[in-house]
Amino acid sequence: MEAFWIILVGSLIAVSCALLGSYLILRKMAMVGDAISHAVLPGIVIAYLLSGSRETLPMLIGAAILGVLTTVLIELFSKKANLQMDASIGITFTWLFAIGIILISLFAGQVDLDQDCVLYGEIAYVPLDLWITDSGYNLGPRTVWIASGLLLLLLLFIWKGYKGLFITTFNEEFAKALGIGVAFWHYALMGAVSLTTVVSFESVGAILVVAFLIVPPATAYLITNELKKMLFLSSIFGIISAIGGYYLAVLINGSIAGAIASIAGLLFLIVWVITLIRKRQPI
Amino acid sequence: MKNNILLTLIITALFSCKMEQKQTTGKIESIVCTTGMLGDAVRNVVSSDVKVITLMGPGVDPHLYKATQGDLKALTDADVIVYNGLHLEGKMGDIFEKLEDRKIIIAASDGINKEELINNSEFKGAQDPHIWFDVKLWSTAVKHISTELAKQVTDSVANEIKANAKKYTDQLLELDKAVFSNLNALDSNKKVLITAHDAFSYFGRAYNFQVKGLQGISTTSEYGLKDVSDMVNFIVDRKIKAVFVESSVSKKSIEAVVEGCIAKDHNVLIGGYLFSDAMGEYGTPEGTYIGMVKHNVKMIVTGLK
Repeated sequence: MEAFWIILVGSLIAVSCALLGSYLILRKMAMVGDAISHAVLPGIVIAYLLSGSRETLPMLIGAAILGVLTTVLIELFSKKANLQMDASIGITFTWLFAIGIILISLFAGQVDLDQDCVLYGEIAYVPLDLWITDSGYNLGPRTVWIASGLLLLLLLFIWKGYKGLFITTFNEEFAKALGIGVAFWHYALMGAVSLTTVVSFESVGAILVVAFLIVPPATAYLITNELKKMLFLSSIFGIISAIGGYYLAVLINGSIAGAIASIAGLLFLIVWVITLIRKRQPI
Repeated sequence: MKNNILLTLIITALFSCKMEQKQTTGKIESIVCTTGMLGDAVRNVVSSDVKVITLMGPGVDPHLYKATQGDLKALTDADVIVYNGLHLEGKMGDIFEKLEDRKIIIAASDGINKEELINNSEFKGAQDPHIWFDVKLWSTAVKHISTELAKQVTDSVANEIKANAKKYTDQLLELDKAVFSNLNALDSNKKVLITAHDAFSYFGRAYNFQVKGLQGISTTSEYGLKDVSDMVNFIVDRKIKAVFVESSVSKKSIEAVVEGCIAKDHNVLIGGYLFSDAMGEYGTPEGTYIGMVKHNVKMIVTGLK
């Protein structure tokens, strides 16, 4: 049963991240997830200073606000200051992370406070953290519900906004000419990314989320240039990584998140080698 | 895709079932402990046929601990989970609190009076979790663990646990006295303990030591240049002979302090490794709580003399 829950949560998060990650890669913003994982630190510290508690809820709210702020700042630097996307991502998250470190040194040096110990979850604890109703019914792991709710929201968002996301991702100028709100779709996507990453950090930890956001979509991008196929394939690669990674972790008695991320990397390598071989053959 | 999700939800609903009640068979077969200190204490009070598993092995900083698949299995199979509490285990501690209606969960720090906990910050609920450095205080925590364990088992086993606990806590109290008299060999102006991170507050209070850490409690907060130069000035002024590194924390920061002192013509030594958040290797004397405390005290006395 534990295996089932872990693989299920892993797969749900994998699909959510793969869908968003596909758009991020196409927009050359793949490192946004990693940036958010660092940039939430000041949010956590401020939430702690205000609430005085290290409970999950205030931490999550603080982190979510900073997640959105991160994406807003990235956009601001790249549009208004004409910086390259990677540079503006780099500036934003190092700056925010540094502010977080300074806040800890100033106000909370004697409190054990960082993302690792108050926000990031661990996929291994998924089967332990059950949702039990007051009448004593076991509804399964809490994170399964969170991850399914998140995925449903995302699917709805991508289904309803497919056209807008599509045009603004591939041809911004054309979208502008058509009168489509480029800024609106950008912020909608970035809002979805902040929400997804922060909630997923709390469920399964940061490394796994960053890996899921980048590696499966990058693998799919090796094979296809069609957005729909890419969304589908990256989800499949994400799910394969979750399943394979779990059993690798069982085999080596290692960290589950680490094993899943390794399998995702391995899949990328295999697919890459296959595409290289196939390119050579016609000659 | 949407059908898959629906299917998932249906499966989830099918698997949800009435909670199994907490087992009260009166038999404890396996106990999982988070830190080495807890594992050692529990090993000493339960009979040898009980399986005692320690999650954070030698040299593991609780801060950086990552659960493996095997750890998860140990946790789900365990009858009892013993943890330190006071946020030492981070988010894992939150999970344990939620497990309380399914398993027997014991937090060692619950056995200690709130007034005796040290809080160096101005925030409520941010007490220092390093309670094991005050041997006497630790013995009350051990006593709490054994009383809670004894409640869960049949009378004969409970008596065995209580007898073992008495024996072990007596050893701890004796150790406490020994630590006291050994440390009293030092002049009171030499009783200054300088380490990389602030883990020794309880030690300082119990044995009249002034303790100074370069970093705060959290190992994430970086030490600043001013921290280093303040520390160097302090060491030179007080003519302190040795500073200490911890087995589970990087020694780079402390080396910076030593170099700073040498530049000011004050020769300060690294007085050796102290075990702070983790104990020594299994099978060595430092792999037990008593051995670890003795090692630390020996290092401190020889370093500062």
